[in-house]
Amino acid sequence: MIGLLPPLPVAGPLAVAGLLLMLSKALPRPLPDVIALLTALGVVLVCIVLAGHAAPQPLVYWFGGWAPDAGRVLGIGFVIDQAGAAIAAFIGLLFAATLVFAWGYYDEVHAHFHVLMLVFMAGMIGFCLTHDLFNMFVWFEVMSVAAFAVTGYALRSSALEGALNFTVVNSIGSYLILGGIGLIYAEAGALDFSALAQGVARAPDSPVTAAAFALVMSGFLIKAAQVPFQFWLADAHAVAPSPVSVIFSGAMVALGVFGAARLSFAVFAPAAPVMRVLHTLLLGMGAASAVLGGVMALMQRHVKRLLAFSTISHVGVMVVGLALPDPAGLSGLFVYLVGHGLVKGALFMVAGILLARCSGIDEVGLRGRGRGIWPAGVAMAAGGLLLAGLPFGLMDEGTRLIGDAAQRVGNIWVVPAITAGAICTGAAVLRVTGRVFLGLGPVPGEEERSPTEREREKSDRPLWLMLLPTALLLLLALGGAEAAGAFAGQAAAAFMHPDTAALLGPGAAVPPSPPVAPAPDPPTTALPWLATGLALAIAAFELTRRRLPGRLVRGFDWVTRPPLDVLRTLHSGRVGDYVAWLAVGVALFALAFAFG
Amino acid sequence: MTRRARLLLCVLAAACLLPACLHVALHMPPFGAHPLPYGEAINALATRQRHVTNMVSAVNFDYRGLDTLGEEFMLLGAVTGTAVLLRGSRGEQLTARPGRVGNRPVAPRSDAVVLICRALAALTVLFGVYVVLHAMTTPGGGFQGGAIIAAATALIFLGEGYRGWRRIMRTGLLDAAEGGGAALYALCGFAAMAAGWPFLHNFLPLGTPRDVFSGGLMQIENAGVGFAVAGGFAVLFVEFLEETRAERDGDGA
Repeated sequence: MIGLLPPLPVAGPLAVAGLLLMLSKALPRPLPDVIALLTALGVVLVCIVLAGHAAPQPLVYWFGGWAPDAGRVLGIGFVIDQAGAAIAAFIGLLFAATLVFAWGYYDEVHAHFHVLMLVFMAGMIGFCLTHDLFNMFVWFEVMSVAAFAVTGYALRSSALEGALNFTVVNSIGSYLILGGIGLIYAEAGALDFSALAQGVARAPDSPVTAAAFALVMSGFLIKAAQVPFQFWLADAHAVAPSPVSVIFSGAMVALGVFGAARLSFAVFAPAAPVMRVLHTLLLGMGAASAVLGGVMALMQRHVKRLLAFSTISHVGVMVVGLALPDPAGLSGLFVYLVGHGLVKGALFMVAGILLARCSGIDEVGLRGRGRGIWPAGVAMAAGGLLLAGLPFGLMDEGTRLIGDAAQRVGNIWVVPAITAGAICTGAAVLRVTGRVFLGLGPVPGEEERSPTEREREKSDRPLWLMLLPTALLLLLALGGAEAAGAFAGQAAAAFMHPDTAALLGPGAAVPPSPPVAPAPDPPTTALPWLATGLALAIAAFELTRRRLPGRLVRGFDWVTRPPLDVLRTLHSGRVGDYVAWLAVGVALFALAFAFG
Repeated sequence: MTRRARLLLCVLAAACLLPACLHVALHMPPFGAHPLPYGEAINALATRQRHVTNMVSAVNFDYRGLDTLGEEFMLLGAVTGTAVLLRGSRGEQLTARPGRVGNRPVAPRSDAVVLICRALAALTVLFGVYVVLHAMTTPGGGFQGGAIIAAATALIFLGEGYRGWRRIMRTGLLDAAEGGGAALYALCGFAAMAAGWPFLHNFLPLGTPRDVFSGGLMQIENAGVGFAVAGGFAVLFVEFLEETRAERDGDGA
């Protein structure tokens, strides 16, 4: 019975999407919503069952029955491990919550929105489960194409630029990945991960392998919006409808990191130079993104842009988790990915509630206008505290695991970086909460000079319908941290050392699999409370500027303004600039390989 | 950033990347001596295992059929997205009036153009169907044939003018062809599962090699692709050409 399940979470939504499109004119109003929601829930269910059966051995499924013959792989396989299945279940859940949140929002385009969302979901899940490099690229592209389409829904001409920046930068990322696939195929002569790993192991020092890694990683880091590839994200979020932003920030961006992790361990692990670059360059990029995203978030007044920058910061934490050579870092990445997705999804839903109920998204303009919808304010405050590092729930567990990993491998310097990023993003969200829902902060600070937009979304849904999924996501983010940590530890061990020989069948070479040291339970520290307190203090400082001594405020602004101005100038919104930075990012890989 | 700064940044990046590219290029497998293990294996096996002589189709629809499923829905997503984007700014109502540019006169179509277009449109559809059907034996298949069939609709536009073309092109029908074709591909996979095989397993009789109807399940998948591509490309033509129709009051808001 379990053997029948692996294709369902991908092929099921696709078949439903095709049928929905076929019948789009004939289906009456609520049916597309109902069908799409049921499909997403079915996917969650199937993926949970798969995750339960993915240990101790991953589930292997060869499409078309093309199992490898004497180590030669002709077909495409799904190898479903605990990490892949659990994250696929999380993606399905996020889609289900989003479909509830957007209930009826897209009526005038018939079922087209639901078709796109189902295709989007299937692409993401296929990306998590596949065991074939080109197939992974296909799902990556399915995901990208659907994302481009749903970003531009009801596009206003003023917003065209943001959507175009997103499309151009991400398309370049896809080209880079495709180029990398070409190189690694030329070198290793295979596409299946296990077969590729054997090819890489035959020539671990080959420059071609290194170049393939650089190109593929650049593509995934563009999707993950990491420094210096991060520019497109804020522009895309500022224009995407709020239900779409939930998916973007909650899952799509983080999947870039997941893809990078998958390839690093399943394909490139035998190449020592590549792993060295992973442990140095990506560590730096992640830490830089964590700090930069946090600072930029504090400077914004457009709430969706603010949340977008906070996503850059938190995905930076995930990249740090990937780059640390310790299993705890990877398990921290998995827990953090889910925890952050739930919290950030909820926060974007609050932004959507503001757009629908208060007809605006500008923090300064909305001051005090959220009083009537205080439950949304509670949700936003909870989200802000969790982002800052409040020691409850999944995000905290992930942060703790990554911090422990950093301590063990002697990279203790990244802990202040990721903590600073978390503090800044938490403070930014708390500042918005105080201003919009409590009417505090009549005098805005640095955020006043940031770009904003007059924007609104249809207010055709009851408040409770929008609050319900928001609350659900937050509650899930709060619960079960211990169990999730233990599960992720197990999942990370299997993820890091895939059993290549067993997958390729008899006749395949057996690479040695190093033993996995169990992660010891470290002592809890006061750091999370300190971070939460600092975030509250920064938010309080920003909101009480008028009451503070003028000299203090002016002195603070005098010190911070010049560097912040430089940052603001860099985020120019011009796609040419972004592409120039993209080239710099790829060049960083070249430098890291040359001198690393 | 100023133009100058941007250029400087690009030059710096290029200064790092060019030596790296050269280094990689020198370590590539030598020119012409590529090992092509996958292609060689398929060439040796496909005719025996799947009774088809078009290896590309064997790879697309059988060995790596899952990729094609993804690509099918990538196309569907792209077309649906385009339709949503364009209709979003234009509205969905149709109009019988074609658009005009300024005072430019609309020349009446000559009978020769109408006749040639009618004849060619029919022949083009026929040729498209031929290309779709011969997917298993000669180069071509659902993707290529579907695109050719869709191209015939442009000939209808040329020959019949906007009004006649708009009467023939029903978007509901085209959506149905596109969605139904793509769904058919996915349902082929489920049919294999219902018959007790893995998803997309080729469980139908494979026929004789070099026969038009060889290939078993691949034939049905190929037909699904043909429908989806023809419908999808035709939807694109409709949406792009609708952009040229006359604007009514309140358009372009």
